[in-house]
Amino acid sequence: MSYEAIALLMFSSMMILLITGQRVFAAIGFVAAISSFFLWGTGGADIPFSAAIKLMNWYPLLTLPMFIFMGFVMSESGIADDLYKMFHVWMGSVNGGLAIGTIGLMVLISAMNGLSVAGMAIGATIALPELLKRNYDKLMVTGVIQAGSSLGILVPPSVVLVLYAMIARQPVGQLWLAGVFPGLMMAFMFVMYIGIRCRIQPHLGPPLSEKDRDIPLSEKLRLLRAGVLPFFIFFAMMIPFVKGWTSLVESSAIGAMTAFLSAVFKGRMTKRVFEESVRSTLGVSCMFMWIILAALAFGAVFDGLGAVKAIESLFVGQWGLNPWIILILMQLSFLLMGTFLDDTAMLVIVAPLYIPLVGALGFDLIWYGILYTITCQIAYMTPPFGYNLFLMRAMAPPEITIIDIYRSVIPFVLVMLVALCLVGFFPQIALWLPNYVYGN
Amino acid sequence: MYILARYVRMVERFNYRIGRLAMYLIFVMMAVLLWSSITKVSPFMRPSLWTLEIAQFLMVAYYILGGPYSIQLNSNVRMDLGYGVLSQKNKALVDAFTIFFLVIYLGFLLVGALNSFSYSLGNFRQDAIPFLYGVVRAFFTDGFDGAAAEFGVIERSRSIWRAPMWPIKLIMIIGFLLMLLQATAEFIKDIARMKTGLEDPFGTAPKNRNLN
Repeated sequence: MSYEAIALLMFSSMMILLITGQRVFAAIGFVAAISSFFLWGTGGADIPFSAAIKLMNWYPLLTLPMFIFMGFVMSESGIADDLYKMFHVWMGSVNGGLAIGTIGLMVLISAMNGLSVAGMAIGATIALPELLKRNYDKLMVTGVIQAGSSLGILVPPSVVLVLYAMIARQPVGQLWLAGVFPGLMMAFMFVMYIGIRCRIQPHLGPPLSEKDRDIPLSEKLRLLRAGVLPFFIFFAMMIPFVKGWTSLVESSAIGAMTAFLSAVFKGRMTKRVFEESVRSTLGVSCMFMWIILAALAFGAVFDGLGAVKAIESLFVGQWGLNPWIILILMQLSFLLMGTFLDDTAMLVIVAPLYIPLVGALGFDLIWYGILYTITCQIAYMTPPFGYNLFLMRAMAPPEITIIDIYRSVIPFVLVMLVALCLVGFFPQIALWLPNYVYGN
Repeated sequence: MYILARYVRMVERFNYRIGRLAMYLIFVMMAVLLWSSITKVSPFMRPSLWTLEIAQFLMVAYYILGGPYSIQLNSNVRMDLGYGVLSQKNKALVDAFTIFFLVIYLGFLLVGALNSFSYSLGNFRQDAIPFLYGVVRAFFTDGFDGAAAEFGVIERSRSIWRAPMWPIKLIMIIGFLLMLLQATAEFIKDIARMKTGLEDPFGTAPKNRNLN
């Protein structure tokens, strides 16, 4: 059997095993273990375990449990409630203002946390019930929360960019800075979409009633103080990191500790909150870690097959394509696979295949990191397989059906595709800030 | 049937306790990393050499020893395109077959871990089991010194700290074994679910788990 055929067989059997509904990591790990064993015999049998050692040596992954913990502390303890109230009061009078405020809330949470789980949990527990109570359209609300929380992996700090940095061997600091403007631009595009849509169809996001809006100015100003906390946490993490005093991992621990202490000082760290956040952190960390472990083994087998060379020779040698066409084809195939396969596993399996090719074609790897992250964001939201979809379904009230959740992401995915193209054609959106900061 | 039920209860209770202990390692990791940043920032201290590696070892212990508990909590995602619409009994039927993906994968992980562990104690041949058996036997006949006499060159990490690698590999072996026990318990529970239609046939599932 040719190597291409083996690679194809591995991918399709992974797909089939995933559909059986067994735990994702078990399906991927099984395909990896069996194929390495049949390809290379007893020596190949050690590949799944070598992945565990490789994972241990990827020390930036320590940021993962830290950010997960921080996210659960913020959502469970409700220290984000004040933030939501701030946006609620200040934005309520506009058509769709609460939805716009929710995007603002998500940007602030993304600046504190490197995953979309945090924004998702906060959005679903705080913003979702409030917006539904105020007669916002349920498709609009669920879409806003899913799209907004996906900014978590683009706006620094970002765990996806950490993973990318490890695979592409690029500096995390520059990648994070490169994510700032694309993230803000995307948030702005969401806001534009919501604003225009709610102006044309006011029933989707009615402004607050007179009674709700009647809040004294002093109270409004007092609520602005809630905005201090995210900036405090953001700078407590980012300043030591950008200045080079602490490493990435240490900064994430500082962030987690700051969030934990603020919950304690605000008197919100009850026994229940503590138990919930510590337990959920273990659950979600284990989920990600075991998937990454299995996907690393799968990726190692792929690597051993020489899949990178095969793809490169196919695109460059046999088809003789223009680099830009190859790049677009890569993003398209990535989007397509991201819809069907597990997103974290995709990241670990596909990135080592594509990144060397991007480098060989002469593209900037920092810039590609941003394209890659936006693609991941889209993959997280597109059915049938998307973490944001899973989380949304687990957290949403029963009147929101799975079909509602699927339909709600469509306009936002379109907006994100536009953002992807913009960053693709105007690399300066991503590259200006890192060049400015590190250039001098 | 009674013996099987007892086995499931025993395994689940044990894994629950280990998992609950592993759960708090997040604070140990955090403390180690904070200590590391303090020593780096403070002008009076030398930056620690050991913190990063200890944190890495802790992370491995965290997710591997916590693995069985995360299975009890149903934290591991499944692709539920078709699976999600099945009835409780049919889900159990499918799971009773597909759980062997997990068992086989864990088997490979365990074999790899045993080889790597025996390597870390200085056995460079591919015969982990006889070597480890020899070490254990020597331990029982001649105590610690006897066991140590069986070792070759102890594997150390390639950092300045030169941490010995066998402790973390031993933890991984224990973790994979516990995962295997949990997987067999899941298999027994799947069979019981098929028979009874109950979601939690032995009353062992922890509260607060996610529902499938």
